[in-house]
Amino acid sequence: MLEIKPIFHALCRSKVGAILLLIQIAITTAIVSNAAFIIQDRIAFLNQETGYPEQDLFKFNVMTFGKDIDASQQFELDVAMLRALPGVVNAAQSSSIPLSGSGSASSFSLKPAPQESLSVRTAYFHIDEHGLDTYGVKLIAGRNFSEDEVLISNSPTDRTTNVTVVTEALANELFPKGDGLGKTIYFGDLPLTVIGITAPMKGPWLKDSHPNNVALIPYIQGKTYAQFVVRTKPDQRDAVMKEVENLMLKNYSKRVINNIKGLDELKDEYVAADKLMMRMLIVLITILVLVTALGIFGLTLFNISKRTKQIGTRRALGARKSAIINYFLVENAMICGVGLILGCIAALLLGQLLMQHFSIASLPPSYIAGTAIIVFVMSLLAVFGPAQRAANISPSIATRTI
Amino acid sequence: MLLHYLDLSWRSFKRTPLVSMLMVLAIAIGIGVTMTSLSVYHMMSSDPIPHKSSQLYNVQLQTMDEGHTWWTGDDIPMQLTYQDAVNLHNAPIPNKKVAMMRTGFSVYLDSDKVKPFTGEARMTTPDFFNMFDVSFIYGGVWSEQQEQSAAPVVVISKELNDKLFAGENSIGKLVYLDDDSYQIVGVIADWPLNLKYYDLNNGAFDKVADLFLPFSLIKAKELTSWGNSNGWKHENIYSYADKMQSEIVWIQFWAQLDNPEQKANYNNYLNSYIQEQKKRGRFTREKPEYSLLDVNQWMQYNNVVSEDNKILVGLSFMFLAVCLANILGLLLAKFLRRAPEVGVRRALGASKRQVFLQHLVEVAMLGFIGGLLGIVLAQIGLLGVRQSYEYYKNIASMDLVMLLSAPVIAITTCIVAGLYPAWLVCKTNPAIYLKSQ
Repeated sequence: MLEIKPIFHALCRSKVGAILLLIQIAITTAIVSNAAFIIQDRIAFLNQETGYPEQDLFKFNVMTFGKDIDASQQFELDVAMLRALPGVVNAAQSSSIPLSGSGSASSFSLKPAPQESLSVRTAYFHIDEHGLDTYGVKLIAGRNFSEDEVLISNSPTDRTTNVTVVTEALANELFPKGDGLGKTIYFGDLPLTVIGITAPMKGPWLKDSHPNNVALIPYIQGKTYAQFVVRTKPDQRDAVMKEVENLMLKNYSKRVINNIKGLDELKDEYVAADKLMMRMLIVLITILVLVTALGIFGLTLFNISKRTKQIGTRRALGARKSAIINYFLVENAMICGVGLILGCIAALLLGQLLMQHFSIASLPPSYIAGTAIIVFVMSLLAVFGPAQRAANISPSIATRTI
Repeated sequence: MLLHYLDLSWRSFKRTPLVSMLMVLAIAIGIGVTMTSLSVYHMMSSDPIPHKSSQLYNVQLQTMDEGHTWWTGDDIPMQLTYQDAVNLHNAPIPNKKVAMMRTGFSVYLDSDKVKPFTGEARMTTPDFFNMFDVSFIYGGVWSEQQEQSAAPVVVISKELNDKLFAGENSIGKLVYLDDDSYQIVGVIADWPLNLKYYDLNNGAFDKVADLFLPFSLIKAKELTSWGNSNGWKHENIYSYADKMQSEIVWIQFWAQLDNPEQKANYNNYLNSYIQEQKKRGRFTREKPEYSLLDVNQWMQYNNVVSEDNKILVGLSFMFLAVCLANILGLLLAKFLRRAPEVGVRRALGASKRQVFLQHLVEVAMLGFIGGLLGIVLAQIGLLGVRQSYEYYKNIASMDLVMLLSAPVIAITTCIVAGLYPAWLVCKTNPAIYLKSQ
């Protein structure tokens, strides 16, 4: 027997406490369901596949101030030295570094500028034929650059490159039929033939509108500022990273080598704000659920101490212990139920508000349902302890003081 | 009387230590969570230069042809082209204006004492220091004449001066940047800026530059920007001279307009500038568009306070509401249990008002203790933020305003929670309780 009616009447006699509990449960449900949704969104963002063996890759910057060398000759010397190092799988100079948050992007189109045509935002890497292997990205169709397709030059005006290797995502966006291989695409008015298509690899910005569109262009410009990427054998990265500055300076000393960072570290820096948000929300909802549970626990204890005599009388009149426990569980379930209904409405409203003002997708109902179940179970657990204590009140209490 | 109430409150606190501690804990957790997110929000959004923020205006010009869009709210590019920046800087008004760009150099000395390293530089016209309130320890800014002639001079930060010259007066000494030597003309004092408001394009919370050099050196040394360079038009750019004449935007520009009259004059000037450029085939839009945003508007325009942070502040205040409901419940229990005692006090002549006040003082005291404990929790929270996100190092801290608001918010919350229980208890009818004793 659930005895809802007498419990409801009893509740009406201490409305304020019940209402307070109800408010707490409603707000908690609203916050937790929305926060859980945001957390889930961030976890998916943080754990996405980038396409790179991040643990084995690192990059560094070179800033040359000496003027007594030929920059592109120096490039050849440097990569030859890096590729010959024990522990290094491959190395390349790369104009942009993936996942780092900085790089170059432009529109790649079906027709040369300034003609109007389908045009897609694309991050591009100027890199040589070792680029793909260095990044550890596989070709899924076509071929890589050959050595003599790579243009190495000190001047930015040479425009004789005419091939490119692109990601599948870019090829399919420009050629939805999937027949991009062998076609010509335009970087400004520069025609580039697609000779290869790669497995997914991310560009420099994970939060870009088109994070998967990447084009590799076989071009090395000898410049005072350059970035190198090195892939090492597993577990040898730290050793190579430690040495690289001295080795590079030994090759040529009038330059600065800095920003020696693993690709995983670069990604961590780029996503740090999202990680922070995720952590703060997790802390927030954990404490919130605990505070609400404590509130329920405290209020039940208070109610029991207020009703000690009534409980004793009920026991003296023949109520079983289980009836007393049931009483408190049902009472709690009633409050919690109403609180959860209000909470679901509040969660929807809050979700709508967040969607209106911020770039957050609409809250799926499953999150509200999940939260409601968790809050309900938690409230039952919080009540169970005090209810058992109430059941142990001796019937003699009732007879003693009256 | 207040002291007496405080004494009573303390006695009451000790009489029911568990319930009291629970209440203090509830308010402390609420304040800790709220203050953590509010402090970050406060540091991000607070005016970086309050006495001048409404006189400093970032200048934007709509250089794009009809139909082109930008990612800003009003579709106007955030930076200027080189030619526009130079033209606006050569204009007769306003008195103080600055064109600038971020770049960097390899820094080293003649001796081998310092290993060459990379220094971040700001190429800027000389008004920068005056407009943004930068003070000097040694020397000062380069002269107008040196600016015109692209003289190899440099102003360095205190940090760099400490590193290169052990903090001594380094005016007149030479420092090598890339392959040229530059004479140091000034060393700026520590410039503790939480928010690099004058350049929000490149890491709003990054530290300020190490080196400051004349803007005219950009052309002389053909320097490239370390910030964003954005184009919207298809142009063939084969040389540095092409870039100087192109529609690529990469220069930041600020003007100081001290009063509405100056602002009106500058508006007129910008309109006529756009008309004049139209004759040369630029600014093809029918309606001239430009934008002058002051420091605070510029911060909003650039969304300095992240979306995440706004959401967190909102959620933390809802969290505080849950804590408030929690405290209210506990206070109700505590105060009502004390009804017999209050009955006696009322019978002995205490007025309702006095009883009410006494209870409010008690909750305020709980709020105060909770607020202090909340500050401790918030510090732990902020430490976590700093550990988790290096970039927020300067932002994730509490300034005096936040330290003072913590107890104020705590006490206010507690008093709001305490109003109803205190009112209930002061309504106590003394007769009932006297009868039963």
